[in-house]
Amino acid sequence: MSEADDAGPILRVENLKKHFSTGSGVFDTVELDLSGGFPLKRSIEHVKAVDGVSFEIERGETLGLVGESGCGKSTLGRTILRLLQPTEGAIYFQGRNIAELDKGQLRRTRKDQQMIFQDPQSSLNPRMKVGPIVEEPMKAHDLYDKAGREERARELLEAVGLDPQHYNRYPHQFSGGQRQRINLARALSVDPDFIVCDEPTSALDASIQAQVLNTMRELQEEFNLTYLFISHDLSVIRHISDRVAVMYLGQIVELAEKEELFEDPKHPYTRSLLSAIPVPDPSQAGSRTILQGDVPDPVNPPSGCRFRTRCPELIPPDAYDLDDGEWAAVREFMRAVRRRAFDPDDRAAVESQFFDGVSLDGEPGAVVEDAIDHVLAAEWETATDLLTEAFAEQSICAQEEPAYELESDRSGTRFAACHLHRE
Amino acid sequence: MTTPLLSVENLQTQFETAEGTVRAVDGISFDVHEGETVGLVGESGAGKSVAISSVLRLVESPGEIVGGEIRFRGETLLSFEEGPNGERRQSPESLSNKEFRQRIRGREIATIFQDPMESLNPVFTIGSQLQEFIEINRELPPKDARDVAIETLREVDIPKPEDRFDDYPHEFSGGMRQRVLIAMAIACQPSLILADEPTTALDVTVEGQILNLVSDLQEEYGTSFVWVTHDLAVVADICDRVNVMYLGQMAEQADVHDLFDNTKHPYTEALLQSVPRPDKTVESLTPIEGVMPEAINPPSGCRFHPRCPDARAVCREVNPEPRNVSDTDTRHNAACVKHDAFDVDYEHSTPIQSEGDEFGEDLQVTEGSR
Ligand code: SF4
Ligand code: SF4
Repeated sequence: MSEADDAGPILRVENLKKHFSTGSGVFDTVELDLSGGFPLKRSIEHVKAVDGVSFEIERGETLGLVGESGCGKSTLGRTILRLLQPTEGAIYFQGRNIAELDKGQLRRTRKDQQMIFQDPQSSLNPRMKVGPIVEEPMKAHDLYDKAGREERARELLEAVGLDPQHYNRYPHQFSGGQRQRINLARALSVDPDFIVCDEPTSALDASIQAQVLNTMRELQEEFNLTYLFISHDLSVIRHISDRVAVMYLGQIVELAEKEELFEDPKHPYTRSLLSAIPVPDPSQAGSRTILQGDVPDPVNPPSGCRFRTRCPELIPPDAYDLDDGEWAAVREFMRAVRRRAFDPDDRAAVESQFFDGVSLDGEPGAVVEDAIDHVLAAEWETATDLLTEAFAEQSICAQEEPAYELESDRSGTRFAACHLHRE
Repeated sequence: MTTPLLSVENLQTQFETAEGTVRAVDGISFDVHEGETVGLVGESGAGKSVAISSVLRLVESPGEIVGGEIRFRGETLLSFEEGPNGERRQSPESLSNKEFRQRIRGREIATIFQDPMESLNPVFTIGSQLQEFIEINRELPPKDARDVAIETLREVDIPKPEDRFDDYPHEFSGGMRQRVLIAMAIACQPSLILADEPTTALDVTVEGQILNLVSDLQEEYGTSFVWVTHDLAVVADICDRVNVMYLGQMAEQADVHDLFDNTKHPYTEALLQSVPRPDKTVESLTPIEGVMPEAINPPSGCRFHPRCPDARAVCREVNPEPRNVSDTDTRHNAACVKHDAFDVDYEHSTPIQSEGDEFGEDLQVTEGSR
């Protein structure tokens, strides 16, 4: 660890981006376009899998990274280790920007950074015995001599809760939980400081998951490890993490100390996640409020706040003076029109379904009236556009990207990307 | 008590393999009443999926139902009798496969599986598949079936159902495909839906949408559900009554509140202790020692004894069937001899060490994989 500085965070990520172009490379998507002009059209799109992420991880801590599928959490984990080449941004590991390292330099940092994956099966070579599997990384980094490697492999097998006698067995002779332990032993063999764990227990049964989680904690203490723990499972994240980052559509929307994040979430998406998840306690059954709709396309993320197309707390446009009830009615109507979620008979029916007890006047009233006309004429798209332009796009949520440092009740600051926290 | 909608008694389903007979479901009984959601819970290998495939007659060779009785609204769907040579064979009251397909499956008992792609044909549009299903099962002309299909898609919250009608399955997200399957399941207004881990592969918010949708539909139509899952949180959320399975047998059966608040079986207890929770920070998890043994060679006596913290010598000898151990009027079955109902002098039996020692699960090495 030459010029590395030991005092700062072990990892600092700054404005990291990873974009994938679909349709690039040899197999460009070529579409037949018969509508005139050039008959062939080349479509290259950029999937913004990770799009401007910054955070730090302190030595010895576990940062949980949680989000739903497609949010970019796995891509982020791989990009941090430069298993994927970042599109933009910096990754300071032990003080050194590894985003800029060449291949040879990168190889040397690999010793300090390891990764374990969800599927222990596919990451273990079925034709190799467990001992040599564990020794492989040591060999690659020229550590110890042959006898030394074997000794260390046996020690590590024991450390991860396997029987050192199993050195000569093949991976298929082990259960899923045991295979994940083999992966742990292999990752530990080069004595890393930092391990990215990508859904390491998601494929395991409940009782086995608990065993592996406990072992991971013990190992963290024994070997002084720092974890980035990626999972879709909020319960596991709550159990294992010190701090938690929540990702949505390529960005971190909230980052806070664990207890604070779960007990007092500051971002509507975090609140939605926590409220959606069922709890193993029947007295809390049925108290869910559910996020509607689907995650937007990461090729064309919404402007401003990316969560705004689904946000239950979308801020009303400053231009109109709508109270909560009016705004809720407008939003519900907007959503129903976009999804064509109803089959309208006449104006009265639409009004009583969506605007019962709400009287909109002024410009908002006129827009809604117009929109109802279009809906009754089966012009759903026009109605959708009209409503979107007049309401959704006028909100601050659509116009500015939110990023707020908030005071933490515990110590220091926490982060929430939501305009509800503007002054 | 009224006749249950579905009643399964002593069901046995086994698989003949090169290594021997696997008793995947080994004598389980459970009921489902009108309007109820009943959970069938267990870890992988517990036999819960085989159990519902058996009810649906979807067990494939080398698997075979070899015993038990299944009744639906009091009518025998399947039963066994002794043949002239003392062999067990299906009794004549059993419904023929053809009759079962025509009258029961799809119409009276529908299903939702974990992977919607297995139930949807990738080369036909979503709408055409749903429409055809409705035409056949509700005997409607194509035009009407199409209208019903669109209405049903709207009901399960598919956006722009008229437009999406002509999409192919791969154009739908996982959550939307699962909603299509629910649409298919409810399209014939069945009285019972068997759902096999239908939300396991979904994200939490999508899972939440589906769970809400299911409870809305249940309220509207009074449909009964059997919900197969490994997830105790989902069980707590939607089930009225719960059956916990371990290695092909029933461990505990109770009302959902009793199961969680007044747990009577050490396995259920251990499962509850081993899961991390979203609603509170659990500092240390207590894992269950060891792994579930293979059903091909189950432990003697109580099948949970090698992993049970309460195991005593007698547990090696007695394989307890579930008995009512309730201290109230509501039935609460547990298959565990530590309860007085079993009267095997558990009190004076010598405690035995559970198998997991310092290596946890790891002294038990599984030879070969399934
Ligand atoms: S910025 Fe607006 S849309 Fe985004 S989370 Fe906050 S309130 Fe919701
Ligand atoms: S019968 Fe014995 S081994 Fe089985 S669950 Fe009860 S106490 Fe445990």
